[in-house]
Amino acid sequence: MRAAVEAHDAGADVAIVSKLHPTRSHSGAAEGGINAALGNAAEDSPEMHAFDTVKGSDYLGDQDAIEIFTAEAPGDIYQLEHWGCVFSRDADGKLAQRPFGAAGSPRTVFAADITGHVLLHVLYEQTMKRMVQGSLQVYEEYFAWQLVVNDGRCQGVVCWDLLNGGVKVIGAKTVILATGGAGRLYRATTNAYACTGDGMAMALRAGVPLKDMEFMQFHPTTMYPSGILITEGCRGEGGYLLNKDGERFMAKYAPNALELASRDVVSRSETTEIEEGRGINGSVLLDLRHLGAEKILTRLPGSRELAMTYAGVDPIYDPIPVRPGAHYHMGGVETDNWGATELPGLYAAGEVACVSVHGANRLGGNSLMETITFGRRSGKAAAEWALSENPPVNVPESVLHDAEGELKKLLGRSKGERPWQIRDELGSSMLENFGVFRREEKMLAQLEIVDGLRERYPKVVVEDKGDVFNSDLTQAIELGYLLDVAACMLQAGIARKESRGAHARPYDYPARDDENFLKHSSTRWAGDGPELSYKEVRMTKWEPTERKY
Amino acid sequence: MQVALKIWRYDAATGQKALKDYEFDAPDEATLLDCLDIVKDRIDGSLAFRKSCRMMICGSCGMRMDGGAVLACKTRMYEIAEAGHIPVISAMGNLPVVKDLVVDMEPFWAKLRAMKPWLEPGYADPGETEHVVSQQAMSTVHKESLCIQCGCCVSECNALESSPDFMGPAALAKGMRFVGDPRDAATVERLEDYSTEHGIWECTRCYFCQERCPKGVDPRDAIAKLGAEAMRHGIDRDMGAKHANWFVVSAKTTGWLRETELVPKTQGIVTSIKQMKFAMGLAVKGKVPPPFPPHVAANQKEARALYDIVKEQGVSGAQGIVQAEKALSRIEHHEGGGAAAERGPYGPGSFPKPYLPGEQETEEGVAP
Repeated sequence: MRAAVEAHDAGADVAIVSKLHPTRSHSGAAEGGINAALGNAAEDSPEMHAFDTVKGSDYLGDQDAIEIFTAEAPGDIYQLEHWGCVFSRDADGKLAQRPFGAAGSPRTVFAADITGHVLLHVLYEQTMKRMVQGSLQVYEEYFAWQLVVNDGRCQGVVCWDLLNGGVKVIGAKTVILATGGAGRLYRATTNAYACTGDGMAMALRAGVPLKDMEFMQFHPTTMYPSGILITEGCRGEGGYLLNKDGERFMAKYAPNALELASRDVVSRSETTEIEEGRGINGSVLLDLRHLGAEKILTRLPGSRELAMTYAGVDPIYDPIPVRPGAHYHMGGVETDNWGATELPGLYAAGEVACVSVHGANRLGGNSLMETITFGRRSGKAAAEWALSENPPVNVPESVLHDAEGELKKLLGRSKGERPWQIRDELGSSMLENFGVFRREEKMLAQLEIVDGLRERYPKVVVEDKGDVFNSDLTQAIELGYLLDVAACMLQAGIARKESRGAHARPYDYPARDDENFLKHSSTRWAGDGPELSYKEVRMTKWEPTERKY
Repeated sequence: MQVALKIWRYDAATGQKALKDYEFDAPDEATLLDCLDIVKDRIDGSLAFRKSCRMMICGSCGMRMDGGAVLACKTRMYEIAEAGHIPVISAMGNLPVVKDLVVDMEPFWAKLRAMKPWLEPGYADPGETEHVVSQQAMSTVHKESLCIQCGCCVSECNALESSPDFMGPAALAKGMRFVGDPRDAATVERLEDYSTEHGIWECTRCYFCQERCPKGVDPRDAIAKLGAEAMRHGIDRDMGAKHANWFVVSAKTTGWLRETELVPKTQGIVTSIKQMKFAMGLAVKGKVPPPFPPHVAANQKEARALYDIVKEQGVSGAQGIVQAEKALSRIEHHEGGGAAAERGPYGPGSFPKPYLPGEQETEEGVAP
C-alpha cells in the first residue's frame, strides 16, 4: 500500500491486487515497533543505526542500501505521523522510542505493541482516501498466480478471482511484488496462513533470481505450541528470559546485551538451553512479572491478550513459555536500491524482496521500516518507469488461455492425495532439519525429502470444483510456491559452509568465513530446479570484524 | 480431543442451504479455526471460510457460533468439546452470504469509506519532525484504534437488522477514531455527517456490538462518545440528541426523569399534540404519571450535587466516557488474573524469582 500510494501520487494509474483484503495483511501482526534514528529517547544518528544494522546482518547486508535506509527512515516516520498514525508518545509529547535487540540506542518507534496494526490501518486509510477520489483501485481477494512476461519485460499478473471465480489477467506497465514471506514452510512459525512465498516463486518462475535464500530468521519468543509471536518489545521494556531454574541464561551467551542481543544469538542460546535439558516442555520462559501491571497494561496489552488466549498465562502473574519459531525471510527477490529487479517492469519491496538491508540476520524493528522506505522508493521508481516512454502494454491472448488450461487440468484431477499431507510433512521436516542449528547430513536428508514432496505435488487433488471462494484451489497453488522456495533455501544452505547470522553450523563450520563466503547467494530456476551462483557484497565504510553482544 | 460441529453450508450456485454434521479428532489446544481447517483438509475440501493470521489481528475469521459472532481463531474448543456440546457454526449476520461461512464484506467497507476515515491534519506543517501531542490526548482514541474490522459487531447489530442503511458500529467507531484525534481538523464536519438520519442516533443501545467485539473496541461506547461530542459542539438537532439532553435537564432539576415532558422535548409540540389521544389512553390505564405535580426525587439535592461534581471536574464530551474506561481498565487485570491475581506474581506456587548466573540463589531469590 505504501508503494501504491507513492506511485499514485506520482501520477501513475495504480491498482492494488491482493489475495486478502488489504488490512488482512500479516504486516498487521508486527507488534514491537519500527526503527528510525529520531534521537527522541537518547542520542542517535542514521550512521549509528546503519552500523547496528550492518553488524546485525553479520556483514552480509549491502552497506549502500543500509545507508540509504537509515538516512531516509526518519522522514518516512514523520510522514506516517502526519498521515495519522497513532504512535505512542513520550512525556514531551514527541514520538516515544524503546530499546530493541542489538540496537545501540533506543530507536524503536511504537504504538503500544500493535505497531504493525496501526501502520497497516493508516496506510489503508490513505488508500481509501484515494479510492474515494476514484483514482486508486483495489482488486481484493484476487489471487495473483503468475507474472505476465512478454517482449522481455513484465507486463502484468494472472489472477484467480476468489469471490466470483475465473482467471483474470491484469495488464500493467510495471508490477511491484509486495507479497511478504514464506514462514508457512515451517510448522512452528509466527507467520499467517497467507505467508506462502507467492512473490518469490512467481519471480523465480519468471526467470528472476532470488538472493540469500538460506537465511530464515527464527524469532526467540514465539509461544508454545502455536508459534504465535510475543514481541521483542517485551524484552525492550525489560523482560527476562529464564531457564527452568529461573536463571537469566542470556548472561552466559551475551554478557553485555543480555536479553537484547540480536535475534540469531538469542534463538541459538535458547535452543542450547533447551537441548541441554534446561528448558520446560521444549521451551524457555519470558518473565515480565517485575515490570508490573501498569506497564504491561499500557505498553504490552496485546502480548498479554495473546498469552492469555493461547498459552493460558497472564504475564502479570506468570512467565510465558516461549521458544524460537520461523519468523522472517532475510532472502528474497533480488532488487537494486530502488526495488527494481533484473526483469524490466518488475519491482519488489518488503519481505518478498532482498535489497539487501538485513543480510544474514535482521534486527527487530527494521522490517516494518523497510516496507515503508523501500515501498515508497519502489513506488516512485515504478511510477517513473511506467510514465516514461515505453511501448503500451501487450498481453498475448495465449496468457489467459494457457492459465485456464492449467487450472482446468488441476481441477480435473479427482484421484490422488490431498495437499495437506505434503504441507504437514514439509512443515515438520523443515523445522527438524533446517532450523536454528544446521547439520550437513540433516540438510542433505531434507533436500531429499523436499525432492520427494515435489514429485508428489503435481498429483494432488483439489476437492472443491466450484468457482465461488475456492480456497481449496488457492491453497494447493500456495503449496507449490512453498516447495519451490524450500528447494532454493536448502541448496543455498548446504553450499554455505560457514556460520553467519541465522545460518548456524556449529558442528562442522562454527566460524564465519569471510574469505570464502562474504558474498550473497543468488538462485535462479533452471529447468526443473534451482541453480546457485554468488554475488559480491556492496561495502562502503564498515570492515567485517568479530561480532559480539 | 473429539470435536463435533454442525456447520451451515451454503452453495451459491444452487442457492441450497444445509446444516451438516462433522466429527473428528483435534489437538487439545485447537481453536475453532484449527477445527475448520481439519474439516477442510481431511473431510470436505469445499468448505469455505476466511483465515489468515490466526492470532486475532487480521480480522478475517469472523463467523457465528451458536448464533453469536466470534473470531474463530480466538475461540478455544477444549471446554466446549469436553462438555459434549455440539456448536452450530454459521456465517455472520447482516451481510450477504457468499458461500458457507464467507460473507460479502463490500457493504461493510463501503460504510467505512463513507466515514471519510483519514486524518485531516489541523495543524501547521511542522516540516521534518512530528507534531507534538500528549500521550493523554492520544489515548482518547486508543480503543477505537484497536479495531481489526472483523465485522463481528455489524453481524450482531440489532439496529442494522431493521435499518440496513444504519452506518453501524464498526464505521461509527472508526469515525470516533478521528473525532477523538486531537490532530484532526474536520471534527465538526464529521459530527454533522455522523448525526444524519442513519448515524449516531439510530443506534438502539442494545450493546450486542460491545458484547461481541473480540478486541475490546467497545463500539457502543464509541457511539456514545460521538453523541457526547456532537452535543458538546451544539450539534443536537436530532431527536436522539434532544432526548438525551432532556434526560440531563430533567435529572438535574428534579432528580428524576419527567416522562410526560420527554415527548414534547424530543419530538416537538406538533407531534406531541398528535400523540395526545394515545397519551391520554396511557394515563387512564395508569401507564404514565400525571404531569402535575412534577415528579421530584426524594433526594433531589443529592442528584444536583452529583451533577455539580461532574461539571466541576470539567471533563466534558467524550472525555467523560474515556475517564470511566480508564478506571475500569485499572481494575480489569484483577479479573483477568483469576487465581493468579490472588497469589500475586511471586506468591506460593509461583515460578521462582529470576537470578543472574553466578549469583547466589537464596530462598527469596535474587532480584537482579
